Amino acid sequence: MVQITINDRQVSGECEPRTHLADFLREAENLTGTHLGCEHGVCGACTVLVDGVPTRSCITFAHACEGARVTTIEGLDEDEIAAELRTALSKEHGLQCGYCTPGMVVSARDIVLRMEAPSEHDIRVALSGNLCRCTGYVGIVRAVQSVIEARRARGIAAVPGGGRDRLGPAGSGHAGAVQENKRERAAPAEAAAATRAAQVSRDDNWRPQTTLEDSFTVSHPPEVVWDFFGRVEEVAACLPGASLQGAAEDGHVEGQIKVKVGPISAEFQGVADITRDETAKAGTIDGAGKDKRSNSATRGRIRYVVREGDRPGETLVELSIGYTLSGVLAQFSRSGLVQDVAGRLIAVFVQNLEARLNHEAGGGTKETAPESAALDAGSLMSSVVIGQIKQFFARLLGRR
Amino acid sequence: MKPVNFDYARPKDVAGVISLIGDESRVVKILAGGQSLGPMLNMRLVQPDLVVDITGIEELRQVEDRADEVGIGGCVTHSDIEDLRVADVTRGALPKVAAGIAYRAVRNRGTIGGSITHADPSADWISILSAIGATVTLRGPDGVRSLAVEDYMLGALEADLRLGELLVSVNVPKLGPAARWGYYKSCRKTGEFAHAIGAFLIDPDRDVCRAVFGATESKPLVVSEAGDLIGRTGERDLAQGFDSRRADELIRDNGMNDPIDRQIHVAALRRALEQSGTV
Repeated sequence: MVQITINDRQVSGECEPRTHLADFLREAENLTGTHLGCEHGVCGACTVLVDGVPTRSCITFAHACEGARVTTIEGLDEDEIAAELRTALSKEHGLQCGYCTPGMVVSARDIVLRMEAPSEHDIRVALSGNLCRCTGYVGIVRAVQSVIEARRARGIAAVPGGGRDRLGPAGSGHAGAVQENKRERAAPAEAAAATRAAQVSRDDNWRPQTTLEDSFTVSHPPEVVWDFFGRVEEVAACLPGASLQGAAEDGHVEGQIKVKVGPISAEFQGVADITRDETAKAGTIDGAGKDKRSNSATRGRIRYVVREGDRPGETLVELSIGYTLSGVLAQFSRSGLVQDVAGRLIAVFVQNLEARLNHEAGGGTKETAPESAALDAGSLMSSVVIGQIKQFFARLLGRR
Repeated sequence: MKPVNFDYARPKDVAGVISLIGDESRVVKILAGGQSLGPMLNMRLVQPDLVVDITGIEELRQVEDRADEVGIGGCVTHSDIEDLRVADVTRGALPKVAAGIAYRAVRNRGTIGGSITHADPSADWISILSAIGATVTLRGPDGVRSLAVEDYMLGALEADLRLGELLVSVNVPKLGPAARWGYYKSCRKTGEFAHAIGAFLIDPDRDVCRAVFGATESKPLVVSEAGDLIGRTGERDLAQGFDSRRADELIRDNGMNDPIDRQIHVAALRRALEQSGTV
């Protein structure tokens, strides 16, 4: 049960914790003037007033607004600034299809209220979080400007901060604590039931969307490293989050890899085909996988070359990682972020690889091999990062 | 575009949060303003079992004035700083940067603690707070610890939080009367995430001179003794003393291989310096 004051009316209704404010307004209260466009905080169509200030109702949960005061476009009928804006918008042709208009009016009202004498540029910047695909904004900006000029001419000053006088997110801090409701949870669908991805198709025309290059040095000779790379199970054991299903057959493996990046976690189930060129000391891993949770898919090709390192007894491994990501995860992916994550994955992989090779060199067997480190271990991460910082300062102070 | 069906709790104090987030058997996410987590929940990139809303905790919505710094509660919003509801001790740096974060409707809910914990390399707070030399205070089952902001961020979307820990405050040093700062971000569209950020601070009274290359796709690159790099303290026009070749080398040595990327980052720092000439 959530209680909110909507357009000066006390409302209480049932809704799930996951229901965002816009859905609560539209579905439970039938206030369909609040529009949903992108539903991830970019387009501004869902902007409403919460505790008197503009808020994205699509990324604000109704439960987080317990006890707050919400004003939708329907609640602005009698509002003085909104009335002036409506007149100005019709005069200046500030709308066509009207989809953005409710959010636009809420944001424009905030500008009129808060900004004393904004330039056209200031207004455009302040409105940049509300997208309109019909008007080209010219009429909207003019309308806002004319209302501000008229009000200032009548001696009505701006109200800095829109009159807000408390700290913290708009809508928060009105209600007491809420205990977790310990909802019954269906047992998670086991990964074992996952349909196995098909054989990686040998489509020579496939080109990765993104390719990144990387390299690392291992303090063991090339023939040892090359030999180790041929033992797929052990390589997989060095890769944080990876595990195989069954043994590799003719270079074909099935397995999964768990990747955790901040709040995002994905578990790709898939297959890979591995080919190795003994003379060139180069290998290719062609893989494809699917994450059931996010319904995202990836296809990738990793090429590696094993060479002599700079110092005798060392190996330089050069990597070229090409991949294509589709589905939900792709919407979020920024190639640079992927590169950072790949870099961290590789750092942990190398650490695990070194540990195994040292163990082997000392006469150990793979059964007694050291436990692999995982990617999201905080202590490990900081050691990698601290190493980078030290390197950075060493370079900085070394010059000049 | 609807999140998975999660449980929700809104504890009244930090101890209540710590007891909920230390549970490793399920996915628990902390929700502050929700302006980064919200979209990720809607897109189901994040599928938590439990969401712990920390915005009801009075302690996190307060500002503490100390001898040489202010402790800003983790749930204080960008707008709170922009509108000076939080007294400014940085000669205008934080309010100015706050005003440029995303859009007003986002700033009214997005929080300073949430932003740096989310650890998006392109976000504004992480870069300017690193330049200013701010620290964070974390509290967990084993007590309290403090870290420099730039050490708190480990990499893209990864903050140095141990199991059961949360950020309680961001501690901003009070700058001296002669302090100068600059901040420039390169964006194609207003309010979007930056492609490059340059930030710096010179505070002669406290003998601090720091430069930051932000939006690097990982943690920001902080030069904590930046006197030679960004021009001498006494000069009025700092950009004149800017050593752009050295800056370029620096970021190349730290893994920025693309020359265009490097040029944008060097230009961002130069513009940050030019900006301070008129302060």
